Amino acid sequence: MTQATEQHTTAKPVAALRKERRAPGGHALTGLLMILPAFVLIALFTIWPVARAIYQSTRIESPIFPSQYVGFQNYRDVWNSFYFRDAAENSLLFALVTVPVLVVLGVMVALLLNEPFVGNTALRIGMLLPWALPAAVSGLIWKWIFLDSWGALNAGLYSLGIIDTYIDWLTDSNLARVAVVIVFIWAQLPLAAVFLLASLQSVPEVLYSAAAVDGASAFGRFRTVTLPGIRPMLVVVALFELLMAITNFDIVYALTQGGPGTATTLLTYFTWSESFRRLDFGAGSALAIIIALASLVLILILVRAMPKGALVEEEA
Amino acid sequence: MNRRSPTRRIVIYGGALLLAFFWFAPFVLVIIGSTIPEINLVAFPPNWFKDPPNLQTFDYIFTGKVPETYEQRGALRSMISSEVRDVPRAILNSFVVATAVMIINVIFGSLAAYAYARLRFPGKRFAFTFVLMSRLIPTVAIAVPYYLIVQSFDLINSFWALILIYSVLTLPFTTLVLTLYFRSIPIEIDEAAQLEGASPWRILKDIGIPLALPSIIGAGLFAFMLSYSEFLFGLFITTTRERRTLPVVLGALSANTDVSWNMMMAGIVIGTIPTLFLAIPVWRFMVRGLTSGAIKG
Repeated sequence: MTQATEQHTTAKPVAALRKERRAPGGHALTGLLMILPAFVLIALFTIWPVARAIYQSTRIESPIFPSQYVGFQNYRDVWNSFYFRDAAENSLLFALVTVPVLVVLGVMVALLLNEPFVGNTALRIGMLLPWALPAAVSGLIWKWIFLDSWGALNAGLYSLGIIDTYIDWLTDSNLARVAVVIVFIWAQLPLAAVFLLASLQSVPEVLYSAAAVDGASAFGRFRTVTLPGIRPMLVVVALFELLMAITNFDIVYALTQGGPGTATTLLTYFTWSESFRRLDFGAGSALAIIIALASLVLILILVRAMPKGALVEEEA
Repeated sequence: MNRRSPTRRIVIYGGALLLAFFWFAPFVLVIIGSTIPEINLVAFPPNWFKDPPNLQTFDYIFTGKVPETYEQRGALRSMISSEVRDVPRAILNSFVVATAVMIINVIFGSLAAYAYARLRFPGKRFAFTFVLMSRLIPTVAIAVPYYLIVQSFDLINSFWALILIYSVLTLPFTTLVLTLYFRSIPIEIDEAAQLEGASPWRILKDIGIPLALPSIIGAGLFAFMLSYSEFLFGLFITTTRERRTLPVVLGALSANTDVSWNMMMAGIVIGTIPTLFLAIPVWRFMVRGLTSGAIKG
């Protein structure tokens, strides 16, 4: 809080000065030395793997065959492969379903947590557990719930007399997809909600009072005050969850192993099984580079689409 | 505003109950499941509570004492899932790796962040942008080359490889958060120390670090948690049971079609306990970061 006021009072006039004063100069060597360990570590293990992946992707590379240069053959193979198309479609569908659901549910949960009710604090603290749990473990917990043969959900529904025969949650393609979506939302919703809650609480109370005086309904207040107030955070949450959806691997691995068939094989899982199950590192690298480029394009489009100030600090 | 209208209350409490059920029911089920003999767990029609619940699965994990229900069936079930006995060791493995990553993050991260926030040196802007941008590469895209690099150094199945990879993956975020934090400390404090003739190292040690300590610890714990939970790299770097980290041990159990489910759930319960202790301080750090603007938004 004090920091906010400090920023206000020192904001404009000092901003220019600050730049000079912050950097006393003469410490160039010290500065370089200080960033050296972190920078070298990150640079080395970013440039090297990427270069290696590019090199690898142009070769037949696997423990069983001699290494050989094949040009763009791997890329062509991957691009024309039915399984790649299938996995890409699955990933796209997964992101298209989970991201909007997470944003909408996130707003609803944030609005709920913003209200006083008995157990509010308990819920806020408790919801960090699904978020903090390793995703592989989340997948495992839910695997037992959804298991076809003696899962908790089937056992419960049967005991309550709701179903007569067990439902094939994980061996029916569509149900398995739903299961992966549910587990992902279970694990991601807490973070989305708490980000949106923080943003919700920063909307000035005055604006609500003003809207109320103007006679706006509850929904009207939400539309004219809340929504514009949290818009930057909505974008950040959507972007973050999109990245999480694209990179989701652990849950699929633990819950469905990509199955039944290839129904829940997302691109990440496909890349993994291509490389480490089939031991085709060439195709795996080509695939990895295609994914990297695709997500880069996606990120750039989103950053462009973002309202100004969503990612830049509002310092002065 | 009619805050307390009955409909409103019903909606609020209904929603809260629904959320609590959605989020917590799986945990309750796992705890119950871990105490039920497997025969009852897999019975059809379901009959979980035929025998009184017991803690024999936990006993087996820690002492190797086979639960009575397995012995009663005469032939000892061959797949009693002895892998679950790896869980305590796996927790230790995860702890060792995550602690090392945390230390690297705290030291390298603070140093770099202070320099980015306060010192002027050539290439600063480029270096900072590069560090941040490095995380835009999806991890699965660098998994294969990482594997081959680790292999060529003969570091497969070593903690060093995991520590190195996790440090590279967590340092950019740590650096960003701490840089923003150091920037928020009034520059006048540094200037006063500088007038007294203190070097940047001295200022960092005696002023920067003590002031930023809560954020440094928070960022360190965050790196710890990410390393503790990481699955993909753990899966292919560790090849023997002695070296597997917790997510890998539990993840591998899920791929085992003949797993004993009450054992697995006991494993999950034990494996979740460290997360419980970590969750609250990390969460505080995140929320404080959000409210003070250390995390952008």
